[in-house]
Amino acid sequence: MMPHATNPVPALELRGLTKRYDDGFLALDGFDMTVPAGEFFGLLGPNGAGKTTLISAVCNLIRTTGGEIRIFGHDHRVADARKLIGLAEQDINLDRFVDVEETLLYHGGYYGMARAHAKRRAREMMEIFDLSAKAQTRVPKLSGGMRRRLLIARALMHEPRLLILDEPTAGVDFELRLDLWQYIRRLHGEGTTVLLTTHYLEEAEELCNEIALIRGGRLLARDSADGLREQYGVATLADVYVKAMAAAA
Amino acid sequence: MSALESGSTNAPAPAPAPIATGGSLAERHRGLIALAGREVNRVLKLWQQTIAAPIVSSFLFILVFGLSLGSRIRAIEGVDYDVFIVPGLVTMAMVQAAYSNNSSSVFQARFDRYINDVLASPMKSWEINLGLSLGGAVRAILIAVALVLLALPVTSVPVHDPFVLLLAVALSLVIFSSLGVIVGVYAQSWDHASFVQNIVIVPLSFLGGTFYSVDTLPSPWQEISHVNPLFFVINAVRYGFLGVSDVSVWLSLGVMAALAAVMIAWSSWLFSTGRKLKA
Repeated sequence: MMPHATNPVPALELRGLTKRYDDGFLALDGFDMTVPAGEFFGLLGPNGAGKTTLISAVCNLIRTTGGEIRIFGHDHRVADARKLIGLAEQDINLDRFVDVEETLLYHGGYYGMARAHAKRRAREMMEIFDLSAKAQTRVPKLSGGMRRRLLIARALMHEPRLLILDEPTAGVDFELRLDLWQYIRRLHGEGTTVLLTTHYLEEAEELCNEIALIRGGRLLARDSADGLREQYGVATLADVYVKAMAAAA
Repeated sequence: MSALESGSTNAPAPAPAPIATGGSLAERHRGLIALAGREVNRVLKLWQQTIAAPIVSSFLFILVFGLSLGSRIRAIEGVDYDVFIVPGLVTMAMVQAAYSNNSSSVFQARFDRYINDVLASPMKSWEINLGLSLGGAVRAILIAVALVLLALPVTSVPVHDPFVLLLAVALSLVIFSSLGVIVGVYAQSWDHASFVQNIVIVPLSFLGGTFYSVDTLPSPWQEISHVNPLFFVINAVRYGFLGVSDVSVWLSLGVMAALAAVMIAWSSWLFSTGRKLKA
């Protein structure tokens, strides 16, 4: 694993991040958080806690109301920051008109990859994610598990330094979940910073060096799984979660 | 066994991927090329629906109204009726294709949320706007060229002023491709996108002089026709083909240029601010 102490520039810095939607709902309220480079960072919280809003803000998919977001030191809106992020969203948002290979090639193009390089990388991704046999298959004809794998392959296509996975194992079978865990863990071991949101506490405990608990757009606590258990004086991460959420309700 | 199971990652290196920052124009705008390619690819994959259907329906108008009924209608401004209607029908097919293609493509991308893949990328807002617009423009050009080629043997439609024709076609593509993108961004349902097509563009095309010269209308319908933007588009294209127009071709081109500027400004504002595209 890459020790994050060697890179003084954090992968992600949020300062006073605020997001109020047009209907008045305050999803994030002056949110501060730093994810060091090389970290495997988990974000836990109930539905509506602000996890997806936070990710969308980092990826420039929503208009923030206030605050600052920096990706490896760059303002999150500039191209230099955006090319460093890979995002696999919670919903399967794949283009229904194109096939597996085209999905990867177009993505590579959007991120400025040369055609030959993108083709090589797409072949690698399809091999890694067991999609080679489906290269010419259009998205609507893929199974749910294949779509999920393609979504993650697309996020990795342009070789991002910060990989953001929003509930990547939601709705996938146990075998694929273990495969994905193994792959993501190895990616992290080779230097990629990973920001993971999940509802599976065992997944967060299994994978993450550090876990942040959020609710109502506010950070409740952050530490390693052991640190959180100690902080809350309980035996399991589930107990930490219940106690933290109850205290914040 | 997949590489996913076997443990091979070909994992990302800590350094970022080689992204184009300098080099040739094409290298600096790979995102734009990819997005435009995706839009054109969509048009070609759905060719029966996007290309063939509008060509068949417009060519039927030429056959039925021009050849069948045309012999019973006297020449308009010295032009045989079957020839007179060709530029208007080509224009109508073109603007409808440019609009409907882009409104449906952008709305679908928003509805299925795969537009996020583009919005999260390092592409500049104008590149996204232009890339999304080009699919409709290419579709409209393919339809227009095919219609003219089909119409030639049966009507011998001439090209009077190629410069005016190219300029008029280019401006009409800008106007209606951009309008399609704008409506695709604003639309909350498929009905919204088709409403503009069915209730605005099609009626204005018919009332803009596709099948007749507006000069033949009694007052006040003649004056009312002059506030219809499609009247100027059809007349500019007709002048390019036939050299006849109900109004000065330079006035038509001026109105079209002003409309094109408004559409470009509007769509650019949407993409640069993220309004309606980003919550």
